[in-house]
Amino acid sequence: MWKEIGDRQSGKLRPSSFITRIRSNRVSSLQLSNHKEIVSPHRGSINSLQVDLTEGRYLLSGAADASLAIYDIQRATDQEGGGLIAKHKPILHVDKQHQNGHKYAISTAIWYPVDTGLFVTGSYDHHINVWDTNSSQVVMDFKMPGKVHRTAMSALATSHMLIAAATEDVQVRLCDMASGAFSHTLSGHRDGVMAVEWSTCSEWVLMTGGCDGAIRFWDIRRAGCFAVLDQSHSQLGRRPPVLERSTTKVSTSKSSSPGQPSSSRSRPPPKKATSGSGGRVLRQAKGSAKQRLHPGLLSSQDRATAHYGAVIALKPTEDGMYLLSAGSDSRLRLWDIQSGCNTLVHFEIVRLQSNKAIQLAVTQDSALVFVPCMTSVKAFDVWSGKTSTTLQGHYEHVNCCWYNPHDQELFTGGNDRQILIWSPPKFISQDVDDEDNWSD
Amino acid sequence: MNFVFTAGIFDWKIKKRNPSKRPKLKTGGPAMEWEADDGKEAAAVVVGLIEKATNSTKPDLDPRILKSIKSVVRHSDLELRLAVENLMSLMKRDHSQVRYLTLTIINELFMRSKLFRSLIVENLDQLLTLSVGFRRNQPLPAPPAIASKLRLKAIEFLERWNTTFGIHYRQLRLGYDYLKNTLRFQFPNLQANAARVQQERRERELRTKEILLKKYELLKSNLPSIKDEVKSIVDEIKECLDILQSSKEENLPLSPIDEEDFEEFRSIELRRIRDNSLKEADKVQENSENKVVFDALRELYKVLVTKHIVAVQESISVLIRVELSDNRLRDSMLKEFIDIRNQLKTIKNKCEEAGCALSIATDEEDIWEEGTSKTFDISKPVITQSKQSEDLSNKRNNSLKTNKVCDTDLDPLKSKLMGEAPVMKWGSFLDNWGSNREFMANQRGLEVEGHWGRVDHDAVIPANKIAELNIQATVYEEEHKEIQQCRAPLKKGGLCPRRDLKNCPFHGPIVARDEQGIPVNDSLENLSTEELVKQAVNNVRNRDKEAIKKREYDKKEMKRAKLAKVRGHNEAVLRDAAIASTSGSSFIGEVEREKESLAKMLKKKVSVKDRLGRRLLSRKATARHMNLGEDHAKYREAFPNQW
Repeated sequence: MWKEIGDRQSGKLRPSSFITRIRSNRVSSLQLSNHKEIVSPHRGSINSLQVDLTEGRYLLSGAADASLAIYDIQRATDQEGGGLIAKHKPILHVDKQHQNGHKYAISTAIWYPVDTGLFVTGSYDHHINVWDTNSSQVVMDFKMPGKVHRTAMSALATSHMLIAAATEDVQVRLCDMASGAFSHTLSGHRDGVMAVEWSTCSEWVLMTGGCDGAIRFWDIRRAGCFAVLDQSHSQLGRRPPVLERSTTKVSTSKSSSPGQPSSSRSRPPPKKATSGSGGRVLRQAKGSAKQRLHPGLLSSQDRATAHYGAVIALKPTEDGMYLLSAGSDSRLRLWDIQSGCNTLVHFEIVRLQSNKAIQLAVTQDSALVFVPCMTSVKAFDVWSGKTSTTLQGHYEHVNCCWYNPHDQELFTGGNDRQILIWSPPKFISQDVDDEDNWSD
Repeated sequence: MNFVFTAGIFDWKIKKRNPSKRPKLKTGGPAMEWEADDGKEAAAVVVGLIEKATNSTKPDLDPRILKSIKSVVRHSDLELRLAVENLMSLMKRDHSQVRYLTLTIINELFMRSKLFRSLIVENLDQLLTLSVGFRRNQPLPAPPAIASKLRLKAIEFLERWNTTFGIHYRQLRLGYDYLKNTLRFQFPNLQANAARVQQERRERELRTKEILLKKYELLKSNLPSIKDEVKSIVDEIKECLDILQSSKEENLPLSPIDEEDFEEFRSIELRRIRDNSLKEADKVQENSENKVVFDALRELYKVLVTKHIVAVQESISVLIRVELSDNRLRDSMLKEFIDIRNQLKTIKNKCEEAGCALSIATDEEDIWEEGTSKTFDISKPVITQSKQSEDLSNKRNNSLKTNKVCDTDLDPLKSKLMGEAPVMKWGSFLDNWGSNREFMANQRGLEVEGHWGRVDHDAVIPANKIAELNIQATVYEEEHKEIQQCRAPLKKGGLCPRRDLKNCPFHGPIVARDEQGIPVNDSLENLSTEELVKQAVNNVRNRDKEAIKKREYDKKEMKRAKLAKVRGHNEAVLRDAAIASTSGSSFIGEVEREKESLAKMLKKKVSVKDRLGRRLLSRKATARHMNLGEDHAKYREAFPNQW
């Protein structure tokens, strides 16, 4: 630590690498925070957690008792134990008694990415509500055809304000906040949709994962989905090596599937559907179906699966080049978005909760992924799949986690109604009276 | 226990002297390495000690082993780490006793070592799962009695840890919160309870203080009146005494004679007797002249003793106990009261000196005992009288004691009648005993006193009807009879304490026995000659019968003996085979050791209930039972191959 500061001072170390080193050091030493504590008012399991993207200060939580709460994670409302423990009580709490509150469990609660004046919640009562934070009133309400599993808004979007909703229904709907109507209905999944995420590099690309095990990519400017991820498609082709660490992985995956013809196309995504995995479908569907289908809808015939069982979580990395997906088959897969290939990284997961959508978190530099594994949260190295740390603190299943890059803190929520904060250890210990006490 | 520990140390020392080429532990960095070698050796000690401590069937840890564990662990962090590992693995054992003892060790170390705490809280959820057993798929292992004890203890420990160290460990707070608020476990709430008890005591003290203060205020206001009362009574008594004194001086003719004869009484004894008699003579005898004065004096004395002295004593105690900011007034009051008390005491002594009659009448200061002693004295002769009437004496005794017989001089007729009269138990029939009155009745039944409604003078119940209604009811009381003990000598020593009427199920007919339990054979003395003859004939016949029987029996016995011999041989062969197949030592040793082992705790003890249950619920028994039913017979005819 001090050596690095010295290097930074003398100019041996560049500022950016200094920052990443400090950050990765801190992230690797996460532990249950004793000095910061969230007082959860929820009476049901916590299903969703998100810290706002603009200030990194307000944590939004949605729980199974149809209640939601917002906490200020920077300034504590209470102190306890002589300033040793900072307690964060909710600054806004909405439950069933609220006139516009949800009736059933809230499955997802996300911030409006532009500012903290709005947030969106989705619930099992088939509704998506848009709330005004300051007045804590519902300003807009979308009725969905089934239970809402996840919602997503694009953090990059400048030209649209669409809420993508993953519901029990096979169709993914995009709700337009400007008009209050559904602007798109994306059909292609054969079963309910559990996970939905916007791409982190393009504001028009949407990724969805369904209970049928498929992960589909949609370009909202065009009809139909343009890519379906296939878990058996692992040939990377002549892709320029992105990171040194991932190249080793590439070589191993190459050797594992030498029979595949190398497809070396780096064309824009929509055209990819005709090549690669889509090509096989075309061959099958040749004949009557082909003539009648719109070219964009051809991939709806693609039955490729990314997981055996439902896809319960999706998370693109910060740079938008990779996608992590978790399935009810207790597998975590890392996908190369550009080529749509399975990178075949083996994550050392024992078991995942299989009946509920979970929420993954990835660090800023895409080095670690935090996965709720039953009662613990495990941090895996994204490129090697090795377990970095196991965070054990919850007494029941963990549903969601959120990584706050500003303070390198991790928030986790579980069925035991607790929201736990995991933070790097403090350098100055304040434990004065916690000492050895040997009497004999 | 101690032996093991020292052996371990010895072992360790030997190893230290010639360091063997053991692989070093990989736990520490370069800084740890110098310690690692020693640590490895010592670890054996810690692990062995923990094993030894937990491998016990006793409900508590051996304090000496615990102490040695503590002292070993205290000196090295590495040993502590190993201890944590070992303890956690012991917690996973499928035996509640092991877990219980392990948890006790954990608690001991948890309260002491910071490093231990920080290591344990990392796996707190696992520890709680194993000790509280709150997860449904991981219940606590057998035996169930100890499992429930383990759970209670674990909850209690968790509470204590949370109150002491909760502020430093989020995990503790989380675990406590989860068990308390989510799973709704009942915590003993030790701290809160103690606080509540303290609070209650404080309140009680405050209340008594208030009461004392009130009493004090009252006393302050009443002080002059009390003084006056005391003064008046003291004056009255003094006057009485003066009167008596003056009357005494009139009749003192004996004293000069005594003075003259003084020399003749040489011996000390005689002199003392004389002194006593002189003193006696000093006292004023009660006679018809001064009877009024004595009565007044007695009355005053009684008031003095029962009222004033007690009141003064009480007020003194109040003054002593009361807490005031200003003590001067209190002290002066206390002084006054003490003076008054002393004055009263001297007066009381004077009174007692003055009249012996007085002191007899009120020789106890407590008036309540007076009454009882009187009745007791009086009832005594009555009891002796009543003993003559034998049939009723038992009941009489009880009733007479409670009876208030106040007359001291019973005339002989009355006492005779009293002796004969039956004693009835109390009942409602006694209310109208011997009365020949007619009773008023209203629509509700019998007229009762204090009736406010209208009265119908014609509606009466005749006396004979009332008598019928008021028949005395008695409950049959069995005559208490002492049932003889069997008193046959027992194998384990002592005599059979069973009380049966005629036959003891174990020792046959109950006969008179002496101290050792040997039957006292007094039948011969009591029997007449005819009976003797009869018995002799019987004896002869019996002997013949027995001889025949014995012959038959001998044949059977021989057969049985032969069979037993064969069986014994077979068993011996089998045993030899068994010993040969297993190691001989373990075969013999195991039987002994099993008595107190942990494994035995897991086995369910076979109780009487179990044995009976097995007997009653066995298939044979149920089948036999089923056979009785006709339905079953029909059923069996219809479906012969079903059971």
